Amino acid sequence: MNIAPRYLGRGSWLARRDPRVLILIVALFIFTVLQVWDIRFLLVLVVVSVIYYRSAGIPWRYIRRNWTVVFVFIGTLVVVNAIFAGGATAEIPLEDAHVIFTMPILGTPMSAESISLAVTLFLRYLAMATIGFPVAFAVAPADFGVAFRRLGVPEKFAFGIDLTFRFLPSLAADFQTTVDAQRIRGFDWSAGASGFLTRLRRSTPVIVPTVVNAIAGAEDTIDAMDLRAFGTGPRTWLRELRFDRTDRLTLLAFAVLLAVFTVLGFAGITSELYVFPFLLDLANR
Amino acid sequence: MSTATMSRNSLWEVSSRVIVYSAIGAALYGILLVAQVPIPGTTVSVRPAFALVPFFGYAFGPIVGFFTGLVGNGIGDQLSGWGALTSWNWSIANGLVGLIAGLAPMYLSRWTNGSLRDRAIGGAIAGVIAVIIGFLFTFTDLIIQAGQVTVGGVTSFYITVVVADIIATAILVPILVYAWEPVKDRLGR
Amino acid sequence: MTQPAPGPLVEVDGLTFRYRRASDPAIRDISLTIAPGEVVLVAGPSGCGKSTLIRAINGLIPHAYPGEMSGVVRVEGRPTVDLKLRDIALTVGTVLQDPAKQIVGATVESELAFGPENLATPREDIRTRLREVAAQAGIEPLLGRETSALSGGERQLVAVAGILMMRPRLYVVDEPLANLDPATAARLLTILRTLADAGDAVLIVEHRVEEALHLRPDKVLYLEEGRTRYLGPVEGFLRIADPRTVKLPFDVVLARARTGGLAPPVEGRARPEPTATPLPDADAPARLEFRDVHASIGDHPVLHGVDARLGRAEIVAMLGPNGSGKTTAFRTAMRLLPLTSGSIHVDGRDASTRSTAQLATTFGYVFQSPSQMLFAPTVRDELLFGPKNLGHDPGTFDALIEDLLTRTALIGLEDIHERPPLALSFGQQKRLALAIALSLRPSTLILDEPSAGQDHRTAEAFLSEVLAIPGLESIYLVTHDVDLALTHADRILLFRDGRIVADGLPQEVITDTDRWTACNLRTTSLMAANARWGDREQGFLDAETLARRAVARDRGVQGGVEGGTGSRFRDVSTEGR
Ligand SMILES: Nc1ncnc2c1ncn2[C@@H]1O[C@H](COP(=O)(O)OP(=O)(O)OP(=O)(O)O)[C@@H](O)[C@H]1O
Ligand SMILES: Nc1ncnc2c1ncn2[C@@H]1O[C@H](COP(=O)(O)OP(=O)(O)OP(=O)(O)O)[C@@H](O)[C@H]1O
Ligand SMILES: [Mg+2]
Ligand SMILES: [Mg+2]
Repeated sequence: MNIAPRYLGRGSWLARRDPRVLILIVALFIFTVLQVWDIRFLLVLVVVSVIYYRSAGIPWRYIRRNWTVVFVFIGTLVVVNAIFAGGATAEIPLEDAHVIFTMPILGTPMSAESISLAVTLFLRYLAMATIGFPVAFAVAPADFGVAFRRLGVPEKFAFGIDLTFRFLPSLAADFQTTVDAQRIRGFDWSAGASGFLTRLRRSTPVIVPTVVNAIAGAEDTIDAMDLRAFGTGPRTWLRELRFDRTDRLTLLAFAVLLAVFTVLGFAGITSELYVFPFLLDLANR
Repeated sequence: MSTATMSRNSLWEVSSRVIVYSAIGAALYGILLVAQVPIPGTTVSVRPAFALVPFFGYAFGPIVGFFTGLVGNGIGDQLSGWGALTSWNWSIANGLVGLIAGLAPMYLSRWTNGSLRDRAIGGAIAGVIAVIIGFLFTFTDLIIQAGQVTVGGVTSFYITVVVADIIATAILVPILVYAWEPVKDRLGR
Repeated sequence: MTQPAPGPLVEVDGLTFRYRRASDPAIRDISLTIAPGEVVLVAGPSGCGKSTLIRAINGLIPHAYPGEMSGVVRVEGRPTVDLKLRDIALTVGTVLQDPAKQIVGATVESELAFGPENLATPREDIRTRLREVAAQAGIEPLLGRETSALSGGERQLVAVAGILMMRPRLYVVDEPLANLDPATAARLLTILRTLADAGDAVLIVEHRVEEALHLRPDKVLYLEEGRTRYLGPVEGFLRIADPRTVKLPFDVVLARARTGGLAPPVEGRARPEPTATPLPDADAPARLEFRDVHASIGDHPVLHGVDARLGRAEIVAMLGPNGSGKTTAFRTAMRLLPLTSGSIHVDGRDASTRSTAQLATTFGYVFQSPSQMLFAPTVRDELLFGPKNLGHDPGTFDALIEDLLTRTALIGLEDIHERPPLALSFGQQKRLALAIALSLRPSTLILDEPSAGQDHRTAEAFLSEVLAIPGLESIYLVTHDVDLALTHADRILLFRDGRIVADGLPQEVITDTDRWTACNLRTTSLMAANARWGDREQGFLDAETLARRAVARDRGVQGGVEGGTGSRFRDVSTEGR
């Protein structure tokens, strides 16, 4: 079981940025996307996010699986929504909707509007996911604590984030040991396709020892921190973060993007759902 | 009460202990998220690990609970490659679950001050309440859909998740309380 | 070497402390002063209050551990009660018992920087100090490594370096040698000695007195049940110390034997009678055979061609440096880790044809840390977990439980059946882990570091108990305790860099001293003594037996020596280099 954070973007253009940049951009960009319902403008944002993503230079072969997960997740979400939208959308009631066909089994109508909505939604999620991805692969794990500290997170909690990364590998190893210890006692989690309640209860032999030992083992760590004066006053962070020119420009660019789309949004230019004409034609036949 | 190890502290004190427990909770949650039990016939899967959020909240207080949920979910996404911030609102929802479970002494004192059995049951109750309330926050996803989607769609989607997590909570939190409390008296300060 | 000093760094004066949850004090009326340049050794059996004393000196008591405290502890003249932990930390630096837990940084740098960061030391100062300390502790090569990827020994050094970064004047180290291979241990002691010579003070808690003596302590504080049994110079301590509680150099034991100062041998400590029949002949299949086994953890190769035959009726001990692959070898044998090449055979059959659980009916595997497998609400459920998983007949369970609890001497504890396993003491958990391993009725026991985290006596006693368990044919153990291995094992396997570099009888293996040291092993006084007084027929003897024998020989008396610990039975299959 490999749970080590994968710093795959190491050395890439994006990885050389101040970690705060990546974090802030996620926020800026999400708000930008929220303004846009017109799929034609949305496509612009998708392109932006893809370019940004490419700059993290994450080797495709390592994260093919991650992308599959993303598509499946967004896919289900959107389909479910579109179906339950029942051919209508919040703004366009069913009677005004241009129904194209009704789903065979479910009998829910599919309208030009709901299909357009589904596609649009899909792109909105896709754009956000694409911008979010690099945070997982282009930020050095050791940088999170100080980055959030410099973004205003209280010192102790910022260090708590570092400490979390410190615990990941050791606790994962302990978890592995526990799994091994139970396997030796003939315990096989995956086996026995009995009801999922039993499956759930059968997770206790691995979860209980892992959790209890982790907590019990914390005593020394707590002492070790107290003994080195943790939290007794303001602390320095050895890692120094500085925005360079590129960082500022990048941030500025995304800020401008947000500003522009906010204006367009309020002007009502991007905020309307764009219904594909060809779907309307289909419906009107 | 489960927070006896910290009984001298107020619910809100931020000691080294709180930080260490928080980090452990978050790390464990992130790690154990790999272990999932699919619910037959749905896309959702019960995540045994989820029970750690209400448990850490219930056992060590609201701050630990909040951090465990918030950071733990972020770490989980980080490890799975989804990106720690992408589903920020789900992370916050998780955090709230831990937080609310951690406030149990305020609204469940009858149970939290009782026998080990009561405290275990109290953990389950607090956990379930916390899940139900905390996950309301995920309706912020509606913002992303900006009311364009009829609520029915979203709710039906989330209900399954919430139900799954409630099941995990109701079953595992008492088990964890039962396992942890006897140990607690052996160590600590 | 004590330099003239203004005043003592630390004065402990009539200290008594009771933990909030405990019924009676953990330490009683302790007095002790530590001057600059002094080295103080604190020894005593498990649970005698050593760590508690340390907590009182570094201020965790009373600042972090509430309880009932009387007497006073002064640091540089000021009572710790009036000081903040932050202030005390400037004078007293503490390395805790378990380095793995003490380390809070994900990388070596962040670990070293942690202390100064909390004291708000400017970045530049931290950087320069970082370089100095890395050099001082000889860990430059480790800079930039993840702390999780360090070996046990490297971790211990980094933990110490983390304290060096704070530049305290008194270094308090709690059992630093516990999980270290002797070479790393020696390295650590050198660092501490240098500090003392430079005018700092060192307080070291250690069971392994023989090694700790290399620090040339100025005084020894010997505790028993929280009380001072002895406080004074080393010589006096060696005169009164009980060799069964603390591990003493052989010549001390010998001197004691000469003056008749040795307590008569105790039941259970002498080697038990053979519990199994000798292996008839070499070409009978071995119980466990490694054939050119290669294995990796993740993408990091660990075993590079292990060849070994472990017999059906022998006690085999694995020795070797931290990270040499001892544990990994057995994990592969239990099919917990896949082989990259080679094969493993159990009783002549290829192990890959059997599941881990099936293998567990042949090998009882006792993990280093017992609690890592405990989860059930009661001891009974815990013990039945394995048998139930393997679908054994429930009718036999009651008998099984009784048998297991008796064999592991747990039966004594009242209502043991219903106790929550996780709430048992460390020692009890270790026995329970043993009982669990036996619950599938294995014929062979595998012990990973049975002596870790226990004092000499407890470890010896535990192992003797294990050896005395009826119905076991063979025992394979992994340990860092050289003497423990040599005295109890019929055969020694030396591990190094994922290979077996030596395989033979204890008294044979130790003859090649170059190879011995190459495996980070140290020549103990007991080894020297065995070379001098022992005889190959009798095999490798423990200190007391040997001392008695030596005395007997001096007097020209023959026999009258009980409990010879010679090899019980031979497994002639000793090829495979
Ligand atoms: N936090 C605690 N609360 C209550 N009792 C404790 C606590 N820590 C230790 N004790 C008890 O105090 C006594 C001394 O413990 P201590 O850890 O000082 O012994 P020790 O000499 O360090 O043992 P070891 O050699 O195993 O480390 C033991 O009986 C132990 O059970
Ligand atoms: N979970 C793990 N992930 C990565 N590497 C590991 C893991 N466990 C062990 N290793 C590596 O495998 C090698 C062998 O480890 P192993 O535990 O077998 O050594 P060992 O001889 O048992 O050491 P020790 O005497 O310290 O227990 C070491 O280099 C170690 O760093
Ligand atoms: Mg101790
Ligand atoms: Mg090992």
